[in-house]
Amino acid sequence: MPGLYLKFREQVIREVVLTQGVVTIGRQPDNLIQIDNPAVSGHHARVYWKDGQYVLEDLESFNGTYLNNSRIEAAVLADRDVIAIGKHTVLFSEQGSDEPAKHRSVDRSISWQRQLDEARLPQLDRTMFLDTQKAKRMLAQAGAVVAGGTVTTGIDPASASASSASSTTAGQRIIGSLTILEGKTDRQHYLLPSKLSAIGRSKLATIRLKKWFAPRLAASIQLRENQYFIVAAGKTSKIIINGNEMVVGQQELKPGDVVEVAGIKARFDYAMR
Amino acid sequence: MAFAIQVAARTDVGCVRTNNEDNFGYDIRHGIFVVCDGMGGHSAGEIASRIAVRSLLRFFAEGGPEDSGFLPSERTHEDSADATPLNKAMQFANRAIREAASQDVERSGMGSTIACAQVDGNLVSIGHVGDSRVYLIRERAIQPLTQDHSLVTQSRGEISQTEAKALKLQNIVTRALGPEEVVEPDVDSIIAVSGDVFVLATDGLTKVLRDEEILSTVTSVENLTAACDSLIDRANHMGTDDNVTCLLIRLVEQPWRQSFARRLQFWRTTNARALS
Repeated sequence: MPGLYLKFREQVIREVVLTQGVVTIGRQPDNLIQIDNPAVSGHHARVYWKDGQYVLEDLESFNGTYLNNSRIEAAVLADRDVIAIGKHTVLFSEQGSDEPAKHRSVDRSISWQRQLDEARLPQLDRTMFLDTQKAKRMLAQAGAVVAGGTVTTGIDPASASASSASSTTAGQRIIGSLTILEGKTDRQHYLLPSKLSAIGRSKLATIRLKKWFAPRLAASIQLRENQYFIVAAGKTSKIIINGNEMVVGQQELKPGDVVEVAGIKARFDYAMR
Repeated sequence: MAFAIQVAARTDVGCVRTNNEDNFGYDIRHGIFVVCDGMGGHSAGEIASRIAVRSLLRFFAEGGPEDSGFLPSERTHEDSADATPLNKAMQFANRAIREAASQDVERSGMGSTIACAQVDGNLVSIGHVGDSRVYLIRERAIQPLTQDHSLVTQSRGEISQTEAKALKLQNIVTRALGPEEVVEPDVDSIIAVSGDVFVLATDGLTKVLRDEEILSTVTSVENLTAACDSLIDRANHMGTDDNVTCLLIRLVEQPWRQSFARRLQFWRTTNARALS
């Protein structure tokens, strides 16, 4: 069986049997071949099966992926090729290694084709729908391929199917909320999960102003990388935060901030979901 | 600030298929724009995408966002994002497809992707389900506004485009209108500036043209219809094996006097029609 052999100081420390799946190499624990070294990027490179050959592809790593001493972006692997990543080397062998591994652990990349066969999907050239259950299962399997069987680092089916409205990075995701204290709006309380929630009379606005002659768009609350900002809609819109008039076009919102704009007064808070 | 809306749209069967399962439609008066890519055998795909386009336009033309007659009376979530008009309209389209599918066994399981936009002045809502996309071209740069609901995208980069092509995983969508009772559309808003171009496209276009190619094609000609035509031609030239559809919207600032004159003109023609 063809395989990849991770070596450090001339010793094989890990072995992966190649099938028609994907093997990722990198510093993060969700890689099938994990190299815990600062010189190695989180997701550094990967090896996969394509058109009857194994392909090595650099994943825009910082320090580069070297094949037989030359830096590559992508290359087809030949027997006994040596891949260098940081201070580690990975040997590609079509037959398998004759070298003994000291602390050998054997893994297999799982074939996508096999997963597809299991899912019994007809007519693949056409756009087709995969029901939610099947999609979750396949995504979970895709996660398992990369995570080497550890479920925790695999793709969380719940978050994979969750709204992509904002970042799905690990850790707690912040969701802001707005409670109307004064003024006429369509609701009293708003959750703000979107990247942009508009305040105005427009029917597209999240916070819809019901007052006559209210501006169609007075301001917007924007979510950028777990931070909320209030952004003025134009030069004429006046925004007051905690009693102070905002002098620039935008300002970060902190929990407890009281915002006054276009005749409404509202309190911003974090609502964890 | 008043924006004039320019629009151009075209759909093409492509070089391989014999039928066109894509559909598009728009309603400038209500600021609604939509493209759909249907799926299902025995021409059910064509029917599903047509129902999706029509029911979306009908939702705004007849009921409008104020009328909740189409919708379940109580709101299931407290989530403000679910209450957007586009979200409601897509839920409505989902039910319309399901209803049609339940009446004919050959249409059972049919579905459609959707990419849509609602424009009100400089506020633009973008919605989608499946792998039809919306791009924004601003200041000679392109930016995707949607993230495909597809196996490839949702695997978070673990399956690359090349692998997906090789394994024919590209065409698998994980969300669509029709197949399931509950659908979760993505809707987001953006504040437009004068000159912004929104590109709504089905996967027949986006599978073969890279983002930069879409950008260069659209920005190379001033005329929107010409840009639309050359996008389709380019996709066909690349040998797309799918139907190709694109809809371009350009928002251009105009002085309030012109906007007023246009409205007056519109009011006059509609009244004249009503009288005759």
